[in-house]
Amino acid sequence: MDDAEPQMAKKQKERLAAKSAQAPGTNQRTYTIPDHRLEKPSITIRQVRKAGKVSYEVTGDLSATVPPIRESRYLSKKQCIEIYRWMLLNRKMETALENLYKQGKVVGGVYFGLGQEACSCASAYALHKDEWMGPLIRNQGSTLVRGFSPRDIMMQYMAKAGSPTRGRDASSHFGDIKDRNVVAPISTLGDLLPVLAGVALGARLQGRNIAVMTYIGDGGQSTGVTYEGLNFAAVQDLGLVLFVENNLWAYSTPADMQFRVKDLAERAISYGIPGVIVDGTDACQVYDAAHEACERARRGQGPTLIEAKMMRMKGHAIHDAADYVPKPLFEYWRKRDPIARFENFLLNVKKWLTPTENRELIAGVDQQLEADRDFAVASPMPEPESAAGGVYCEHGCHEIKPKYAIPKARKGSVASPGGTEAAVHLK
Amino acid sequence: MPQLTYLEAIRQGIWEEMERDPTVFCLGEDIGIYGGAFKVTDGFIDRFGPERVIDTPIAESAIVGAAFGASLTGMRPVVEFQFMDFIGCAFNQIVNMVAKAHYRWGAPAPLVIRGPSGGNVHGGPFHSQNPEMWFVHAPGLKVVCPASAYDAKGLIKAAIRDNNPVIFFEHKYLYRRTKEEVPAEDYIVPLGKARIAREGRDLSIITYAAMVHTALEAAETLSREGIDLEIVDLRTLAPLDREAIVATLRKTGKVIILHEHARTGGLAGEIAAIINEDAFNHLDGPIVRIAAQDSPVPFSPPQEEYFLPQVSDVLREARRLRAY
Ligand SMILES: Cc1ncc(C[n+]2csc(CCOP(=O)(O)OP(=O)(O)O)c2C)c(N)n1
Ligand SMILES: [Mg+2]
Repeated sequence: MDDAEPQMAKKQKERLAAKSAQAPGTNQRTYTIPDHRLEKPSITIRQVRKAGKVSYEVTGDLSATVPPIRESRYLSKKQCIEIYRWMLLNRKMETALENLYKQGKVVGGVYFGLGQEACSCASAYALHKDEWMGPLIRNQGSTLVRGFSPRDIMMQYMAKAGSPTRGRDASSHFGDIKDRNVVAPISTLGDLLPVLAGVALGARLQGRNIAVMTYIGDGGQSTGVTYEGLNFAAVQDLGLVLFVENNLWAYSTPADMQFRVKDLAERAISYGIPGVIVDGTDACQVYDAAHEACERARRGQGPTLIEAKMMRMKGHAIHDAADYVPKPLFEYWRKRDPIARFENFLLNVKKWLTPTENRELIAGVDQQLEADRDFAVASPMPEPESAAGGVYCEHGCHEIKPKYAIPKARKGSVASPGGTEAAVHLK
Repeated sequence: MPQLTYLEAIRQGIWEEMERDPTVFCLGEDIGIYGGAFKVTDGFIDRFGPERVIDTPIAESAIVGAAFGASLTGMRPVVEFQFMDFIGCAFNQIVNMVAKAHYRWGAPAPLVIRGPSGGNVHGGPFHSQNPEMWFVHAPGLKVVCPASAYDAKGLIKAAIRDNNPVIFFEHKYLYRRTKEEVPAEDYIVPLGKARIAREGRDLSIITYAAMVHTALEAAETLSREGIDLEIVDLRTLAPLDREAIVATLRKTGKVIILHEHARTGGLAGEIAAIINEDAFNHLDGPIVRIAAQDSPVPFSPPQEEYFLPQVSDVLREARRLRAY
């Protein structure tokens, strides 16, 4: 077999054969969803009507003590400390943004990933530099790990000329196709899934199986496009790592009003892909699951759904006081702060950081943020005229070329990227 | 008469319709305990219960589809979109399922899809759009865009009572910035009828929603220069009030069409064609259009200001047209 098509067919056959070999010999269906958590809180939130007022009521045991961090099967000491630093940078940058907002320097609102820093940072950390990521609004930490700087994000929020979108869009709505391989999200939830699947498809057509990662919330996963994107990736064996952040709330709507399955990871069964549950406040669990999913993707074995559980520790955005959240929930999850837990693990359990080293690390983060904040504050607003232009890619502003390798054409073909120049017929 | 903001007027309108008609119910994201992202349905869940004020999953396509389904059983659903920018997620249900239903198989769809649209609040490309024209071009839908609190109440009530699907665009810039006396009584403002927001002799501005206020502001300045503007507030974009367009042109002979959405394929082109068809002989100057730039809505304030039509644009064009 010497040309590309039969070879693809052969690969497809091999994949199918491998799949059926895995299938159990009986028609009894068994599925397992590995759950790496060391505690499995069972909390439900319901609408109740009392004395003419409707509010949310929690049921479940909120008295459990905080479990230890589950030791990573893959992370070295150095990597753990790096992830810890990203998480600190993520959190402290958002505190800086909150302060900038209070000083009236932010245009519009601010979104926070408070309580979800392990999810953003430890998941993105599992990607290789030449792989791709599509963040959501709370994944500012992921964009930091991919190589954007706090000043980029600050300038986005301040609508500055030097922001990654040059003032044209806000918050984490930015991307980079050149160096950092980040897809700029749009607001509508779920729309990134098929796009990231497509990135994996493009890479595979260029001979590479890469891992691509994107995020979705307990609320956003209710959109139809979530199904379409993940099913597409499953059918095509594309290396999509879908990181589902189940933080119990979608704006003011509790997760219990978004879906009826117990765990969102169960959804994986219906796509025919692996699903796994992790504690979203445990950076080691997050990394391990993300790493395994990425490795699977790199082997060309297709997508994985990771469900991380934790709670959104602020309102939907800065304007929202989250009065609808029953207070005991905040108390419960505050004890499970991902940074405090990881810090304790590094300092007291592993003794990988001394208190002095920790203080120095924190001071370094503070210094970096101060410099970035000063830079962002001092940077200019865009000129009004900069609103014009750039709707189309014109005048050779971009050169379109394969990112990984030139796709294989049939043997004997003279095709090359972009093809040959055509004659122009005007009539 | 009590003073109500544009937002309060819409709230009161929906509330009254729910009080008087048990088939009216609301569905959307975060509309219950939270009262909606902009608090339009604040207090509704306590009054009408979770059965009639339904917090849905984030699934716009399902929300619209389910609203249509319920309307087939004789209910009158009022759908809230958190931002009208997200209406694209339900586009197919709206333009293919709902809009075509009566024409194809004789099924009316008495439902309302409402939510905030419009810019000038630094919301960026996904919280500032004016997607009216996507639906004006889909026969079977009615498209309503109020400019005042008084109209907002009367129009939302008319929209809920209408037997056709109505897309109701609430301009978020006006939500809390416009306030006026709004009758507490049960009244409607009919769909498909424009109003004269300001009477004038010299030159007409045809516009709607927030741009009515831009035109009014310009009219103050121009009146001091002896230019007397007439301002037509369309209120409904589909069906358009052709008679009102012709009538104002007959009076002034000169027209500026002003809108906040992009110029190309915008409403001004359609109105210019109507003038050409019905009132060509009355024209006493070129038809002028003032519109947003053909681009997404930029986020940064200086850029958004550049993007949106401004009072200064109206002044400049009005002076030029007057001198024509
Ligand atoms: C399709 C769509 N509908 C509505 C919204 C408005 N919206 C933005 S975020 C949000 C809640 C999202 O909740 P979730 O997916 O759980 O993410 P979280 O905010 O908890 O991170 C909503 C309703 C949107 N962005 N996209
Ligand atoms: Mg959530």
